[in-house]
Amino acid sequence: MGKLTIGCFASLVGSTNLDFAVKLSAAAMEKGHKVDLWVSGNGTMISIKDQRAFKDYSSLEKPLKELMAKGLNVTACEACAESRGYHADHTLEGVKRFSMDWYLGSAFDADRLLHIGGE
Amino acid sequence: MKLVTFVSDYKMTVDTLDRLKPEKLGIILVQNGVYHATTKENGKPSSMLNYSANYYVLQEDLETRGLSAANVIDSKVKVIKFGDIVDLMFNEYDKTAWL
Amino acid sequence: MATTKLGFVVTRPGYKSENPKLALTHAIASQSVEIYLKDGDIVTADIAFVGDGVLNCLKDQKAVENYDLNSTESHIKMSLLLDLNVLVCREDLDRFGLSEKDIVIDAPEFGAEVEVKVVPYSEISQMMEEMNHLLFF
Repeated sequence: MGKLTIGCFASLVGSTNLDFAVKLSAAAMEKGHKVDLWVSGNGTMISIKDQRAFKDYSSLEKPLKELMAKGLNVTACEACAESRGYHADHTLEGVKRFSMDWYLGSAFDADRLLHIGGE
Repeated sequence: MKLVTFVSDYKMTVDTLDRLKPEKLGIILVQNGVYHATTKENGKPSSMLNYSANYYVLQEDLETRGLSAANVIDSKVKVIKFGDIVDLMFNEYDKTAWL
Repeated sequence: MATTKLGFVVTRPGYKSENPKLALTHAIASQSVEIYLKDGDIVTADIAFVGDGVLNCLKDQKAVENYDLNSTESHIKMSLLLDLNVLVCREDLDRFGLSEKDIVIDAPEFGAEVEVKVVPYSEISQMMEEMNHLLFF
């Protein structure tokens, strides 16, 4: 089995790119692959905890928690998060925060990389 | 290289696909990109279907938009699921591009 | 000891979109990635501006003066300081009626020793072939 690194830079609300990234992560993990998910730019919105789920907006906290419990490795760009007021004490449990080099470090030994740009 | 590209928009403003000349090209139509597989404008299919490529369209994104395999206008476009995308990425292609 | 090569391909203009800046800041992060790697392993970052993305390379950007933001120009210059390979598509510059005198080419004030390379698309295509992974912005 291989390793897939996904980078997603698009917003949780207003784009289904993060939904795509999470669904692809789930499918890859189901096939036995290891998955790293890096969120940067507006994509860091996914890292905030206690988001209220409305049916008119994408809400990924539940599937993200389920996948992290199965081994999905999720890391948010710390500077991107901080610049948006998403602080460490309000980060979803299990989501790590590092600087951008983490993404490149993950790419180093990734068999495949899918980079989903932002808006 | 063996490149699989994800086309997520219907109206493309970049000509990246015109210039990429990989040894093997796959095009996966996702999100609003699925309309390339189902829509004709003035009776003409999307020029997105003119590349020398293997074509795929994501079933979930078709269904989300009120479409299905029955709406796919060209038989060369294969309807697939997320698990198939994973297999394509790992088994058929070595690089990816999200356009 | 192993090397992973990443190709950052910028296809859109900046400022309205955060993408070009994030391409450059992530590419620049290749200089500090070793904390995640074993000794001797490296990640390299090549940057290519193609299509409308070449508009990011215009010089004399006044983003600091007008928006108090670091300019894309300054990020390109930082990339040069760090010896990153920065390519700009010649055909796309031609399409916009631009030439090397209109864009960022060097950064002596940053102490950079390498320069931006204006190249035909065929060379950018070759670069993409040589990379392990591509990231389109």
